[in-house]
Amino acid sequence: MTDLGASPVPEAIAGSPTPGETGDGPTGLRPWRKRRLFPSSPFYAVVRWGGAGLFAAVAIGLVVTIVSQSSQAFTHSGISFLWSGTWNPDAGEFAAGTLVVGTVLTTLVAMAIVVPVGLGISVSVSELTPRWLAGPLSTSIEFLAAVPSIVVGLWALLVLSPVFATDVEPALEGLPVLGRIFHGPAYGPSVLLASVVLAIMTLPTVVALSRTALSGVPMADREAAMALGATHWQVVRRTVLPGARSGIAAAITLAIGRALGESIAVALVIGNRPAIPHSLLAPGATLGSAIVNQFAEASPGLGTSAVIALAAVLLLLTVLVNVVGQLLVRTRGGRRVLSARGAAT
Amino acid sequence: MSTIPNVQVGAAGTGPEIGLVEELQRRRALVRDSARRSIRRRRITGRAMQVICLIAVPIGVAPLVALVLATVSKGAGALSAGFLLHAPTPPGVPGGGISTAIVGSGEIVAIAIALAVPVGLFVALFLFERPGTIAAAIRFSADVLSGVPSIIIGIFTYAVFVERFHHFSNLAAGFALGVLMLPIMVRANEEAMRTVSVDLWEAGVSLGARRSRVARSVVLRGALPGVVSGNLLAVARGVGETAPLLFTVASPTFAMTLLIFNDATEPFPDAQRTAWGTALVLLVLVLILSVVARMVAWILNRKAR
Repeated sequence: MTDLGASPVPEAIAGSPTPGETGDGPTGLRPWRKRRLFPSSPFYAVVRWGGAGLFAAVAIGLVVTIVSQSSQAFTHSGISFLWSGTWNPDAGEFAAGTLVVGTVLTTLVAMAIVVPVGLGISVSVSELTPRWLAGPLSTSIEFLAAVPSIVVGLWALLVLSPVFATDVEPALEGLPVLGRIFHGPAYGPSVLLASVVLAIMTLPTVVALSRTALSGVPMADREAAMALGATHWQVVRRTVLPGARSGIAAAITLAIGRALGESIAVALVIGNRPAIPHSLLAPGATLGSAIVNQFAEASPGLGTSAVIALAAVLLLLTVLVNVVGQLLVRTRGGRRVLSARGAAT
Repeated sequence: MSTIPNVQVGAAGTGPEIGLVEELQRRRALVRDSARRSIRRRRITGRAMQVICLIAVPIGVAPLVALVLATVSKGAGALSAGFLLHAPTPPGVPGGGISTAIVGSGEIVAIAIALAVPVGLFVALFLFERPGTIAAAIRFSADVLSGVPSIIIGIFTYAVFVERFHHFSNLAAGFALGVLMLPIMVRANEEAMRTVSVDLWEAGVSLGARRSRVARSVVLRGALPGVVSGNLLAVARGVGETAPLLFTVASPTFAMTLLIFNDATEPFPDAQRTAWGTALVLLVLVLILSVVARMVAWILNRKAR
């Protein structure tokens, strides 16, 4: 495709404009803003405003409920609930510190695995492999996104965990320098296994979103780089990757958001020990896994409120990450990612 | 890099100096050789990086293949007509099935669809009809809400329904799944409606149709493929969710995902067999939903042309 034959039609007419972003239309009116001038029925207005109102009520209600239900625990433990150490319901000690550490640690390790692998796959799929292979490949990885998290958890607990206990974890312990973070007995369920599970579950998000960002880089940019004598890889490294930077950043941020909040699969494989893990092979706990395990057993009143307070901390973390991710998506380079998001999340 | 001596061409003398031809040839060879070295070096690094990228593909696909193979091979052993049609039995009693879980999951998902699909459409119509600050806020909160962990939605529903009415129910679970699916549906519907051209909308209102009529006959009609496939994908996501049901359903035998969660941690081989069988049923169901979603979009799109 060349731009030589491009028609002189202004974009407002040629493309289908998006609501809220349209400039002055061909008639000088801004059609999407003047819509109120056209007749509507009261019923239709009620339906639209009712829908929007319900949605807002749910969104606000969610936050208000979680915050108000957790207030008892926050008044009991003070704001130090967020960082102080121990979670010991029997002794009446409630604090999210160890769980926040566990959540952040598993997410970081998962990202250390999934970012290089995911980027490698998206570069391969969008730039290196022939089209007949790229299509099925990306479809099958995006299918992984549809696999329910409980099925991933079941597989990780009954198939992957024994393999980790007998082969993977002893082998990692023998590594020269890295062995230091992989010491201790190999049980199977561990922080490492949970991180691997999170990496598997966030892979489709990273691949789908960053692939869209990569293929959204204009062909003219690649052609310009090639005309300057760049090799295929140099085109990818110097033109395509920088052009897709904000889209890739959005992909990783949204994947972090997913990894922070995943609870069921993690609860199955992390070993559930609410303490700071001394090694990646030790069992640990995350906010999500602690909620899953503690909520049913929590004593009414303070105990329940403390678990809901964990949910409040998790909500705060994920909302922060997602707001950053959405702001990244809304930047110029990231906007392309929006349309692919639906299929991936 | 060797420095090139500065040769003065045609300076002072009248004809070409002795050795100039050789000097020019030497320079050409120098440039040619360094270009060759450069392209070789760049090609080698390029190849190496490409190989590194391509290695990531089997690493990423291997867990997917292993996961599906394990689920199929272990789940197929448990599957039978009785497995799908019989109610669960206590551990140790043979002949149990997962019929209650299938029915329960169906009920919960049906409730969630009944709650979320209409609201999702209405909110999308609101976003379509009224661009502006409110719409931007709703759009943004839908995006953020779709990233909120499902376990939090479960806790929210517990606090709103279960705790207040002292009663676990499929209705509460359906509400939780509906809340989970709603933001996904809103965004999918809105994206689909964006593909409808402004010209068509203007043509509709200029014919004197009311906006509700245009919304129904032009906007929704044009967005139908995207709306249907987006909603189906959201349902596929909801079917596989466990966390929102954890604190809302009365018994783990009333939902497939909860049954898997419960049986996975049981030491009995029979329970694990049931878990694998249920996982296979769930996997097939989700796969069918995703494939149907894509096929519906494809067929409706083709019809529209």
